[in-house]
Amino acid sequence: MSQAIQSKQYEKINAFLVFFIICGCQIGVGIHGFQRVIYKDAKQDAWLSVVLSFILAHIVVFVMFKTLEKFDNLDIYGIQREVFGKILGSFLNFVYVIYCTFAFFAVLKNYIEVVNTWVFPYVNPQFIAIAILLLIVYAVTAGFRVVIGISFFSFFFLLWIPPLLIYPLYFTNINYLLPIMEDIIGILKGAYSMSFTIVGFEILNIVYPYIKDKEKKSAEKYAHFGLLFTFFIYIIIMLITLMYFSGPQLERVIWATLTIFNLIEFPFVERIEIITICAWLLIILPNLCLYLWAAYRGVSSVYNLEIKRFTWIFISIIFIITFFIKTRTQINTMNNYFGKIAFIVVFIYPFILFIFASIKKRRKKGTGDTS
Amino acid sequence: MIKRRVLLYYLCIFLLLFGCADPKILERISLAVLIGYDVESADKVTATVALRSVNQELQSIVSIASQTDETSKGTRIKASLDSTKKIVAGQARVILLGSKLAEAGITQALHTTKMNSEMSSGLYFAIVDGEAGPLIERKYENISDIGQHIFYLLEHNIEEQYTVSSTLHETVRDSYSPFIDLALPLIVQDEDDVHISGLAIFNGDKMVGKLVGNEPFYVVLVKEKYNAGSIQVIIPGAPLKKLSNDIPDQLAIAIDSIFSNRKVKLVNKDTPEFELDIKVEGRVLEIHSSITTEDFNVMEILEKEVEKEFKKEIDKIIKKTQELNSDILGFGEVYKANVGTKNVDKKKWKELYPKIKVNANITVELLRNGVFD
Repeated sequence: MSQAIQSKQYEKINAFLVFFIICGCQIGVGIHGFQRVIYKDAKQDAWLSVVLSFILAHIVVFVMFKTLEKFDNLDIYGIQREVFGKILGSFLNFVYVIYCTFAFFAVLKNYIEVVNTWVFPYVNPQFIAIAILLLIVYAVTAGFRVVIGISFFSFFFLLWIPPLLIYPLYFTNINYLLPIMEDIIGILKGAYSMSFTIVGFEILNIVYPYIKDKEKKSAEKYAHFGLLFTFFIYIIIMLITLMYFSGPQLERVIWATLTIFNLIEFPFVERIEIITICAWLLIILPNLCLYLWAAYRGVSSVYNLEIKRFTWIFISIIFIITFFIKTRTQINTMNNYFGKIAFIVVFIYPFILFIFASIKKRRKKGTGDTS
Repeated sequence: MIKRRVLLYYLCIFLLLFGCADPKILERISLAVLIGYDVESADKVTATVALRSVNQELQSIVSIASQTDETSKGTRIKASLDSTKKIVAGQARVILLGSKLAEAGITQALHTTKMNSEMSSGLYFAIVDGEAGPLIERKYENISDIGQHIFYLLEHNIEEQYTVSSTLHETVRDSYSPFIDLALPLIVQDEDDVHISGLAIFNGDKMVGKLVGNEPFYVVLVKEKYNAGSIQVIIPGAPLKKLSNDIPDQLAIAIDSIFSNRKVKLVNKDTPEFELDIKVEGRVLEIHSSITTEDFNVMEILEKEVEKEFKKEIDKIIKKTQELNSDILGFGEVYKANVGTKNVDKKKWKELYPKIKVNANITVELLRNGVFD
C-alpha cells in the first residue's frame, strides 16, 4: 500500500457531507442550457432521457463504491497504479488529471460566456476569469476542509430555484409533452447528450479516502441521496421547460433555464435572471474548487508538490488557455468534446476499472493462498 | 498569515473593480419604453422609440426618436447619434408592429427582440391597425407618456382577460410552434385616443385578418381558462315572452365573474374531428328590468339561450379562422399530441385545418345575480 493516503485525522470528513459534495459538484453550468441539447435528440421525451441518465449514474456510483471498497484507503490515482502497474497507471493518472483540468476549464469558460452574454457584454472575459480564479486560489489553498465547506454552503444557494419555478407554471401547456415514448433511439441519444450536465459525481473517486473510516459504509447511501436531489432539480427544470417552450422555439433558446427566469418579475426585482447569474458564481465555486483539488491529488501522487504552488501553476495555465477559446462556436465545440470525453471517463471507465480491479484482487488472493 | 491578508486585499480590489465593470447611471441613459416597428421598403425597417430619461432635476422627460435602417440595432446606432444619452432597451415594455409589417411577416422582428438578452420575456407585443410610427409620435392631449399609457392599456386588459396575453415569450412560443397560429392584440389610434380594438390573427408569421367586437372573448374562452371574465350577450327575447309582455325581441344580458374550463379532445383522427367541452360559470349582473330571476325556469331558459349564443359565436369564429387558415385556437397542438410528431407537420396541418370539424358543447351555469331581483 505504497500509495495509501496519509491524510491526517482532522482532514477526514463526515459521511453526510458526501451529499453536499455530490450536489455541489453536479450542479454547475450545464443546468443553464442542457434542455436544448437533449431536446434536439429526444424531442418531447427529453425528460425520459434525464431519467435514464440518472438511472445509469446510480449504477455507476454503485460500481465506483464497489471498486473503492476493494482498496480501503486509496483514491482513484492509487488504485490505477495498483491495478495497472507503475507506467500505465501513471499514464492513466495523467489522463485523469487532464480530464479534471478540462472539466474545470469548461465550467469556468461557460460561466464567463453566460456573464458576458446576459449581464456585462462589454467586460473583458479575462478580467472575469482573473476575478474568479483568485477567489478559487483563496479557497483551495486553505485546504480540503474549506473546499468541502464551500460545497456545503453552495447547496443552500440551490434551494431557491424550485420555488422560482412555480411562476412559469402559469405558461405551461401539457400538450407539449405528448405523445410519450415516441422515439426510443432518440431518448438514448438524449441520455448520452446529458453527460456534459450530469458529470460531477466522479469526484467521489478522489474524496472517498477522506471519509471517516467508521462512516465509509454509509457514504454510499449519501451519494445516492445526492444524486436523487440533483435528479429532482433537473427533472423539474426539464419538465417545466418542455411545457413552457414550443418545440422549434426550444431548439433556438440557448440558455433555456435563464430564459425562463427572464419572465419572472417581482415588484422589487424586475430582472431576476441577472441576480441568478451573479449568484451562480457561488454555485459553480465548489465545482471549480473540487476539480482543481482533484487535479492536485493526481499530481501530488507523482510529484511531491505543495498545494499552494500547484494552485498558482494550475490557474496560470487555465488563464492562458482562456485567451485561445473566445467565440461561442469554439465554446460549443469544446462542450461537445468534453461531453464525449466525460461520457467515457465517467460512465464507461468505472466498469472497466472495476473488472480489472476484481481480477487483480482475485489473483492476489490466489497467490496469497498458495504461499 | 500576512501573505493571506495581502491576497485578501487584492481580492477585494478586484471585486470592487468588478462592480464598476459596466456602470449605467440613470442620469446618463435614455430608457426605451415603447418601440414601434414599421416596414419602410422591401428590406428596411423604421423603428420609432418612446424614450424616457431623467435629468439632473429628477424630472423625467419623454422624447421620441425615429430612424430607418436594415437592422433594428442599426436604427439604434443611428438614434444614438441623435441622442445626448446612451439608449438602453432593458426597460422596454411594449413592442408595436405596424400592420403592414405584420402582413409581410413578423418573424424577423421577433427574432431580433428575442436575441437581445437585454429584453425581458415579459414585454408585450401588439399590432397597430395602421402604422406604429405616427401612433407613437403623435402628441396626445390626455396622454403625457405614450409608452406607459400603452403598457398599462395592455397590461390591465390582459390581466382581466379582455384580450389574449401577448408577452414576448408567448408570442415567440406560438410563432415558432408549427401547430398553432398567433393572435395578438390589435391597437388602434382614434383621433386623440388609443384603444384596443380586437385581435390580429396570423397564418404562419403573416397577419391575415382581425377579430373585433365580442370575438376576442370567445377566443380566450376556447384557448384559456377564465378566472374573472365578463361579457355582454344579446339573446332573443321570444322564449321569455310568456313571462311578461314588456320583454323586447332582443334581450341584452351582462354576465361577469366568469369562471370557465375547457377541454379539447380528438375523437376522429381521419376527419379530423374534435370535441370541445366548455364549462362556464358566471353571475348575471344586468338584465332587462321586467325579468325577475327568482323563478327557476327563467334561469334555465336564460342559460339555454346563452349557451346557444356562445355556441353560435364560437362556431362562427372557428369558421372564420378556417377560411383564413389560421389555427389561433391551437387544435393542431391537440392533434399532434394524439397522432405523434411523425404523422403531422406544419404543411400537413395547414392542409388539414380548413377541413377539421369541431363539436362545441357549452354548458353555462348562472350561479347568482346581484343584490336586487
